[in-house]
Amino acid sequence: MTVQDLATLIVSAILTAGLYATMSYGLALIYGVMRIINLAHAGVMMLAAYMTFWLVAVLHLNPFLAPCVVVPTFFLLGLAMHRFLIRPLGSAPMIASLLLLFGVWLIMQNIAYLIFSSDTRSIFTQYTLWTIHAAGIPISFNRLMVFAAGVIALISLHLFLTKTYPGRAIRALAVDPEAAILVGINTSRMSMLAFGLGIALASLAGCLMSLIFSFDPDFGRSHLLKSFCIVVLGGLESFVGVALGSLVLALVEAFSVMWLRAALQDFVSFALLVLVLLVMPNGLMSLFRRRA
Amino acid sequence: MLRVEAINVFYGEVQTLWDVSFAVNPGEIVTLVGSNGAGKTTLLKTISGLLTPRSGAVYFNQTRLDTLASHRVVELGVAHVPEGRRLWAGLTVLETLELGAYVARARREKKQTLEWVFALFPRLAERKWQLAETLSGGEQQMLAIARSLLSRPKLLMFDEPSLGLAPVIVEQVFQVIEEINRQGVTILLVEQNVSHALALAHRAYVLETGRVIKTGRGQDLLNDPQVKSAYLGL
Ligand SMILES: Nc1ncnc2c1ncn2[C@@H]1O[C@H](COP(=O)(O)OP(=O)(O)O)[C@@H](O)[C@H]1O
Ligand SMILES: [Mg+2]
Repeated sequence: MTVQDLATLIVSAILTAGLYATMSYGLALIYGVMRIINLAHAGVMMLAAYMTFWLVAVLHLNPFLAPCVVVPTFFLLGLAMHRFLIRPLGSAPMIASLLLLFGVWLIMQNIAYLIFSSDTRSIFTQYTLWTIHAAGIPISFNRLMVFAAGVIALISLHLFLTKTYPGRAIRALAVDPEAAILVGINTSRMSMLAFGLGIALASLAGCLMSLIFSFDPDFGRSHLLKSFCIVVLGGLESFVGVALGSLVLALVEAFSVMWLRAALQDFVSFALLVLVLLVMPNGLMSLFRRRA
Repeated sequence: MLRVEAINVFYGEVQTLWDVSFAVNPGEIVTLVGSNGAGKTTLLKTISGLLTPRSGAVYFNQTRLDTLASHRVVELGVAHVPEGRRLWAGLTVLETLELGAYVARARREKKQTLEWVFALFPRLAERKWQLAETLSGGEQQMLAIARSLLSRPKLLMFDEPSLGLAPVIVEQVFQVIEEINRQGVTILLVEQNVSHALALAHRAYVLETGRVIKTGRGQDLLNDPQVKSAYLGL
């Protein structure tokens, strides 16, 4: 393996990591604020992929404008899901929301089978086969744009969470809801906002992935498991952790291709998940975290 | 200013407060003393809306608090420094203080309030970029107090602010409470440090197993034989 090959592999892993971080952060945000594991995450990614297909292949929208339509739509869907599914659960144990959201995922899948059939779709655009060369390393233009879109979204979200009142309120709520109430934060409204943002991020991930991968109504299943792997690696509620977890998973996957058949690539993330849970249940961040 | 009228509070089916009534007048320092498990925290949480009484009522001026959504109480000018400080790990001192001014009324005056609070707690000004959890215990208590001041309270409730602090820091905390009161904020103080609290307070209530069993001026209760033997170990 030449240095060139190695560089190509690493660049490719970094591009994948950007996408992984986008898909995982939504899961982490919802868990951090509400202690809910959103199993419908995969369904949202899948439906967002179909919506993108419809916008790009049928309405001929520029694929990189598709997120501007998909993300706000799913943000509103997320708000509605919170209002009509999550809030009525009140303080029921976690298993209730887990099962409910699993049910929502199944319903989403069945709706997709009904409307779109089980055919595999993919989106082919004028950008799909473009490749640019930087220092001799070939980079797919499509994947570069997808990476950029994910990173821009994550940076915007980070600025929102650190610089604005509602963003900080969401962070305070995630750490200590009672203390948040005591300064006047409307916790049910803020968790609704956080849920909407989490769903919006999942839809962005689905939208971006549909420009790279083919998909069917079962799409998102393995990505959901990869997201679990990443949030467990990253320690569940930290921004840096999710980025780090994404990078680790993407690198491990990229290098495993040298020894494993591509069909076994998904296996790598699950093996990593099990390994991390056994060895470092608090994730990578526990290696760095100062003891309080 | 604050009137608590015969409230009964339950955790599930277990009753914790029994017909508790008391009042706080504008400008006063009132203290609620009682041993561990007497129901002091439960009482403060009921006033700030974290718990709802099964019967009875809580009034702040003319407004009924116990039927209000809990996040609305602070808008009216009732702030609560919770037991154990309850700071947000991962937020800086400045972020914490700014969130203290979350309600619209306080947000408009945030700049002046911050200046006032930094004058009161110069240490916090020095450390405003530090994460809340990296402060010392005493500084954390000061930050919790400062956060509540950012909401511009008319009534400020403290739940065991001296808990777990070194004696010299405890002294500072009590001085700060007195200073805040001098600047026009009414104080409701819950303490296990009974002698200190009674010495500071204008009036006091003694809470025992969820009932108010005694009330009077702080000084008088300090000299009360029953209080002396039960709470002061004399
Ligand atoms: N969350 C809770 N659930 C059930 N019982 C509680 C809870 N919090 C407090 N209690 C009980 O209520 C009583 C009063 O507690 P608390 O108000 O914390 O007392 P204090 O603050 O005076 O020490 C205690 O007997 C305690 O065990
Ligand atoms: Mg207590």
